[in-house]
Amino acid sequence: MPRLLDLKDPYYIDNPGRVKAIQKMMQQQGIDVYLGSRIRTLSFITDAFCPWRSYIIVPAEGLPTVFTFIIDAIRLGDETWLDEDHVRAYAPLGGMDQIAAVSDFIRDDLGIAGGRLGYEDGMSTYTPEGNLTHYEFMKLQEALPGFDFVNAHEIVDTLSIIKDQGTINRFREASRIVDEGHKAARATLENGGFKGMTESVIGGIGALAMRRAGSVSEWNFAGLNEVSCGYRTGLGACTPPTMREIKAGEPLMLDFHSMFKLALGDHSHNYLIAPATKRQRWHADNFTVLVQLVLDSYRAGTTPAELAQVMMDCAETRGCADFVVPGCEHGIGLFGDEWRIGAKNDGPIPYWTDPDHVYRVNEMVICAMQYASPGEGIGFRYENPVLIMKDSCEYLSKYPLAIEEIG
Amino acid sequence: MSEKLKYLSQEWAAEALARLKKEIPEEKMNNISTSMTDIYRNCPDGKEHFLYIQADNGVVTRVEVGTGEPPKAEFTITGDYEVFARISRAEISSQRALMTGKLRVRGNMAKALKLASVADRMNKVLSQIPAIY
Repeated sequence: MPRLLDLKDPYYIDNPGRVKAIQKMMQQQGIDVYLGSRIRTLSFITDAFCPWRSYIIVPAEGLPTVFTFIIDAIRLGDETWLDEDHVRAYAPLGGMDQIAAVSDFIRDDLGIAGGRLGYEDGMSTYTPEGNLTHYEFMKLQEALPGFDFVNAHEIVDTLSIIKDQGTINRFREASRIVDEGHKAARATLENGGFKGMTESVIGGIGALAMRRAGSVSEWNFAGLNEVSCGYRTGLGACTPPTMREIKAGEPLMLDFHSMFKLALGDHSHNYLIAPATKRQRWHADNFTVLVQLVLDSYRAGTTPAELAQVMMDCAETRGCADFVVPGCEHGIGLFGDEWRIGAKNDGPIPYWTDPDHVYRVNEMVICAMQYASPGEGIGFRYENPVLIMKDSCEYLSKYPLAIEEIG
Repeated sequence: MSEKLKYLSQEWAAEALARLKKEIPEEKMNNISTSMTDIYRNCPDGKEHFLYIQADNGVVTRVEVGTGEPPKAEFTITGDYEVFARISRAEISSQRALMTGKLRVRGNMAKALKLASVADRMNKVLSQIPAIY
């Protein structure tokens, strides 16, 4: 049974309205049918978790139809708002492989003999972005003669950058859940609890607490919860956890991920495992000051470049500019929607943040800051989803900003 | 019955309907309402034949054979006559024919997943009809 849309649900999203908005942009761009394959597009339209290779076909009018790997089709049908006739499957059967299923549907079921077909291509920092592969592109072109294929991913990117109230509420809940993970991790680490514990295990403890609080995933595309300790913090970024043991006298960063109704909780928090040196404390204090300054600076009308300048100016006065990575954020949206900020792919470096993007009310980004001193084997990472407001921002994780010394 | 019927003849279709109704109870049909058409290509007479089966609330209500345009069905399975004949003679399973691309399915695969066991039961009944291919 598909999920019914409930207007009174605080997490309600007007999915039919989203489809109509896409169709309106398709019409403006002369696109007869849109073939979405990126995870972010599937999340945005189906409002369901699509971890397997999936395709969504949006006609000029009417409901879209999603195709997924057959083993997951029933679950997807249960979770999406689309009805059974619009949730289909592909399988290794004659006429049912991905290419045949999608091309037959466009040509025969939708009855479109030719025209402009919008598809999704580009570049990404993480593997499963879901752009149409070269093989899929070639085979679909063969199967759909008469169609002119045009890269049209900016339609969904444009529509998804401003968040609606249901999406914002989902992100608030995802952040509340992430905070539960951090509370559980801290309770485990203190009073010598860190001894003998690996990055992998503390990541799992956080994951369990978040699952119990309502999360369903730690983001499979990011390597789940990310944890780094010791020298591994030196680049100022978390990575998938390893079997390295957490040790006294070393920094520890915990970057926990939750997912609630496709909204992504993402909060990175840092510790110094006692005893900390004065130098470590100095680095830590620099970082918390910089983070607070940036959080206080987010507002509509500012840009990533301006925020980076505010941060770097402060770092210069504190004498720590050599350790600060000059970037403060990455994009965020429903599952699969990460990294790129700005509706159009028109920044100076393709498919990366546009430094001159002007934030608008109800955009959401991850305030993502890095402090890196690889030579000293120390670094910090802060991440927190922030909702852009007219004169400020709301940061969704309420876990207190601090770098405590625990042990 | 010992008399052999010509495969896909009107007599064969009547026998198929009678057996499907009699031998597969509603609960074994999962109380489904659906329809499917098999399209037979490269038939011995050079024509394209079809076999249409319709079920309503778990009861097979219609079995139709013929040439030309088949009735519109929820699922369509297309393949060579010989492949269907081999399935009916139990020389090859329908699953293997589908997995090797000898048969092509059209329709909502997610729905078809729920019907796989029903189709298998129907195939078994049809394979018991003494037939001349």
